[in-house]
Amino acid sequence: MEPIIRVEQLRKQYKSGKRPAVDGISFEVGRGEFFAFLGPNGAGKTTTISILTTTLSKTEGTVMIAGYDVEKEAAKVRRNVGIIFQNPSLDLDLTAEENIRLHVSIYGVYAYRPFYSMMPKEYKQRIEELAAIVGIHDNLFKKVKGFSGGMKRKLEIMRSLMHKPQILFLDEPTQGLDASARQSLWAYLQKIRKEENITIFLTTHYLEEAEEADRVCMITHGKVAVLGTPEEIKHKLLGDKSMLIDAGDRKALRAELEALQVSFTEEEQCFRVRFQDKTPQSLVARLHTPLSRMEVHQQTLEEAYLSLVQQSQNDESRKGAV
Amino acid sequence: MLMTKAQKESNAVVAIAAREITKGIKNPVLMIVSIVFPIIFIGIFGGSLSQNMAGNLGYNYLQFMMIGMIVNSVFTGLITGMSSLIEERNQNLTQELYVSPISRYSIILGKMIGSSFTSIVGLLGILIVALLMQIPLGGMHIVWLFLITPLFCLIGGSLGIFFIGFVQDSKTADIGSMLLVMPQMFLSGAMIPIQHSTGILGFLAHIMPMTYCIDLARAVFYSGTPVYSQVVLYHPVTDLLVMAGFFLVFTVVGTWMFTRSERNR
Repeated sequence: MEPIIRVEQLRKQYKSGKRPAVDGISFEVGRGEFFAFLGPNGAGKTTTISILTTTLSKTEGTVMIAGYDVEKEAAKVRRNVGIIFQNPSLDLDLTAEENIRLHVSIYGVYAYRPFYSMMPKEYKQRIEELAAIVGIHDNLFKKVKGFSGGMKRKLEIMRSLMHKPQILFLDEPTQGLDASARQSLWAYLQKIRKEENITIFLTTHYLEEAEEADRVCMITHGKVAVLGTPEEIKHKLLGDKSMLIDAGDRKALRAELEALQVSFTEEEQCFRVRFQDKTPQSLVARLHTPLSRMEVHQQTLEEAYLSLVQQSQNDESRKGAV
Repeated sequence: MLMTKAQKESNAVVAIAAREITKGIKNPVLMIVSIVFPIIFIGIFGGSLSQNMAGNLGYNYLQFMMIGMIVNSVFTGLITGMSSLIEERNQNLTQELYVSPISRYSIILGKMIGSSFTSIVGLLGILIVALLMQIPLGGMHIVWLFLITPLFCLIGGSLGIFFIGFVQDSKTADIGSMLLVMPQMFLSGAMIPIQHSTGILGFLAHIMPMTYCIDLARAVFYSGTPVYSQVVLYHPVTDLLVMAGFFLVFTVVGTWMFTRSERNR
């Protein structure tokens, strides 16, 4: 099946930059996939997303979105994507409905009418339906200026869905939102993703938001560092999973672990035992020594990310030293 | 109903223009400025000049100035309106427009039409001040003049586009638009007659687009009156040709530069 996003050897050299902001990256995203694009500040995430959404020219490479070339067929690309920018791009002096009416008019979905009452029935139905889902129904005709950060984000998502895009680009969509607003926003995003089979391309600094992604791409210094499922990435960057165990009879536990030939290290108050299965269930089942402590250490993308950033900094200092 | 490409573009132009108009209507500052500005310039500045220096001109100086201020007001409104694209870009308000599937020309045209509407509505302030100061409005002549104000909007808007094609940040845009407006206000004959301007001031007056707009405005307003030759510099056709030249160059170069600066960073 043709991927919905195809990036090949993409390179961007800013006029003022000493080295490329994006340096020959390649990846593909499938239809309906939830793809997280991560990296530290200055890694090239926003540059990449700007090129993918046609707001910035590339220096080299090929970028195809929904089958269209971003340079030669920019208008067709734009018609097929919805974008939630890093900073809200709403007109604060207009009402929520006026912002949406402007959007559907510039996307050619409905003919512009100066008043809501004059807009077609289908428009009113769609707007009422989406407003009810995102929970801004009561504020639809109020100025955006008075909206909270969460409401603005919800309005932006609602707006971006009005023209039924195939791909939704989310550039740090939950920046500045509190935990509850983030949670409800993600619940909504997952819902519409399933219902409308939308591809989600996410950049975020909240790594836990990327845990649910189908695949994750991490970039550093404009290059792809790792690409794979969250599990693959964690394994690649953090190695085997581990658990902490201890027993009243430590000597017996140590002997048992040695006999089972599992990889472990003895720490101050416990043993750190590494395992490769999804859970330590089978390993624990083979232990007979009564355990006094057992903690399974859940690896997170955040740890993998920090490890990558550390590696990248070490590489940079080595280069600097040479 | 499916729209053709041309219908989509025109729909977008209308929507963007309507956005400007809606914002203008909702903004009380605009209405206040449209009254205060003529009071300061026509009422205070013009009134003082008229009483102390305009005795031997041979025509009604306040009426002469009112025509200049009408064109100047439209020009200023359009230049600042177009310059706001820079501020909106920096505040991320226009990102939504730039990722939409419409031509950059449609964005600029919509913005220009919207700013024109608010500028023309703002002219009501000048008329109110003129009525209060008992400045003769010239009967049908003022109506003719109002009918051609969209032409001045086009030239002012194109100059604004040309300007934003070379400016990247809102601070420069703010200062730059003032530098663009102020010299034209003083040198193009809006307030001070330029029939006898020579040297560098004469040269500057003749390269300013607003000079030709004001001259055309006065040609229309004073047509058939005895003072025509005293207040009009060129034949109206000459004014129109020069204005068309400015419009074409400014619009094409400005839009190209602006859209280029958006993507080619």
